[in-house]
Amino acid sequence: MRAFNYVAAGDIQQAVRLLAEHGSEAKILAGGTDLLADLKSSPHPPRMVIDISRTQGLGGIEVTDKGLRIGALVTHTEIMKSSVIQEHFPALVDAAHTIGAVQTRNLGTLGGNLVTAVPSMDSGPTLMALDAWVVLAGNSGNRQMPLTEFFKGPRRTALKPDELLMEIVIPAENIGKPVNFLKSGLRKGQALALVNAAGSLWLDAKGRIREPRIALGAVAPTVIRAPNAEKCLAGQVPTPEIMVEAGKIAAEECKPITDFRASATYRKEIVEVLVKRVLMHAHAQALKK
Amino acid sequence: MDIRLTVNGSQHALSVPPETTLLGLLRNQLGHTGAKLGCDVGDCGACTVIVDGKPVNACLMLAGQADGREILTIEGLASREQLHPIQRAFEEHASLQCGFCGPGVILSAKALLDENPDPSRQEVRDGLAGNLCRCTGYTKMIDAVLHAARVMRNETDHSGAKVEG
Ligand SMILES: Cc1cc2nc3c(=O)[nH]c(=O)nc-3n(C[C@H](O)[C@H](O)[C@H](O)COP(=O)(O)OP(=O)(O)OC[C@H]3O[C@@H](n4cnc5c(N)ncnc54)[C@H](O)[C@@H]3O)c2cc1C
Ligand code: FES
Ligand code: FES
Repeated sequence: MRAFNYVAAGDIQQAVRLLAEHGSEAKILAGGTDLLADLKSSPHPPRMVIDISRTQGLGGIEVTDKGLRIGALVTHTEIMKSSVIQEHFPALVDAAHTIGAVQTRNLGTLGGNLVTAVPSMDSGPTLMALDAWVVLAGNSGNRQMPLTEFFKGPRRTALKPDELLMEIVIPAENIGKPVNFLKSGLRKGQALALVNAAGSLWLDAKGRIREPRIALGAVAPTVIRAPNAEKCLAGQVPTPEIMVEAGKIAAEECKPITDFRASATYRKEIVEVLVKRVLMHAHAQALKK
Repeated sequence: MDIRLTVNGSQHALSVPPETTLLGLLRNQLGHTGAKLGCDVGDCGACTVIVDGKPVNACLMLAGQADGREILTIEGLASREQLHPIQRAFEEHASLQCGFCGPGVILSAKALLDENPDPSRQEVRDGLAGNLCRCTGYTKMIDAVLHAARVMRNETDHSGAKVEG
């Protein structure tokens, strides 16, 4: 690895001050599972690494009046073990469990996964299907935005150079919303998603679908929603046929690429199947409530 | 930068350049070469060590992030008198061939059994999913971990015979 300077930031203020001071020369280090590989291979490594792995105020999982708050530094292992998340969102546990292997999940953080912003990220779809938003901390204060606006492209987010991702919030009205996540990879362990998908829905008093959400990974430059598929579900009686139909529409609205892992055509077929299945699982959960 | 950490129960204070990984520190500064440098990007698990009770890839951790922490490497597992039950089970089941992956696999197994003393076969597979082995095909490793778990729960001895109680 090339030489760089290293500072461990004690608190959020110090971290954002350092970011402002060093600009594009600086990089944030959380769990390091993405950054260290980059530092080792990049021809232009940063001059300054700002370690936030022990920075105060960035951890913790709790229910507040705004919703379920997950600190950016929460690791995938912590998500899997959190009793609050197990109770309200087993799909987040399932998604975390598919990330890498134990060693990666012990270091890798939710914040790092979202900021790296690769289209195949496994934490994005479930959060997006729950209308999650992110809170960013900067020198001029905090701001927040929906996850859909945070992702700007492959490896690009709305973060300004002097900002860091502080926390992720699932809005209070969606706590306990039935949601399911599925991933298709080439192997079970240590495999990036060929496609991943999450679906959430409520049932209204008459048993019809309310606020359906479908989010897809690895089939567009960022994790995306499938708005046309959602429209076809809203207000409908939740039949297997309508879920199959939603899968077909979702496959039409995504734009996967062909690469060495899978062809675009294959990915669309998987989208069709995963969307149908996540909707069926979310519906089954809704019936149990 | 200055770093203090505990490795296998001994405290160390040392000074290393910031770009040093925990793996580099262990191997080059402290001479603990049990953790291996395989892929260097988190894929193979040959560099697995246990930090504050959790298995991590030492190639993906900066030495600075290990400051103040407690590290267990394969060198800290056996005592002069005897092997750790997992090591012994690996020996008896002939679970390793070339052995390169061994330190990482055994530490992943130790972390798993510390947390879950009675894992299912599937849970053992999941616990070892981050450790690649080019020789063995994993079956005998999984057998050994399940056997070691029974030994550690005092349900059997190393020969596999049931402990009379
Ligand atoms: C072997 C292996 C397997 C993997 N498998 C998967 C997988 O199956 N699915 C999957 O989704 N991912 C996978 N990953 C990717 C990775 O583990 C995750 O993306 C991880 O969550 C990144 O978090 P981190 O804390 O390690 O990030 P870091 O490496 O510390 O940081 C990643 C990037 O985000 C920035 N950053 C981190 N935190 C913040 C913050 N709070 N604010 C602003 N910027 C920040 C850093 O500057 C850096 O650019 C795998 C990685 C490895 C090594
Ligand atoms: S050398 Fe660290 S995981 Fe391969
Ligand atoms: S025994 Fe040779 S790599 Fe596992």
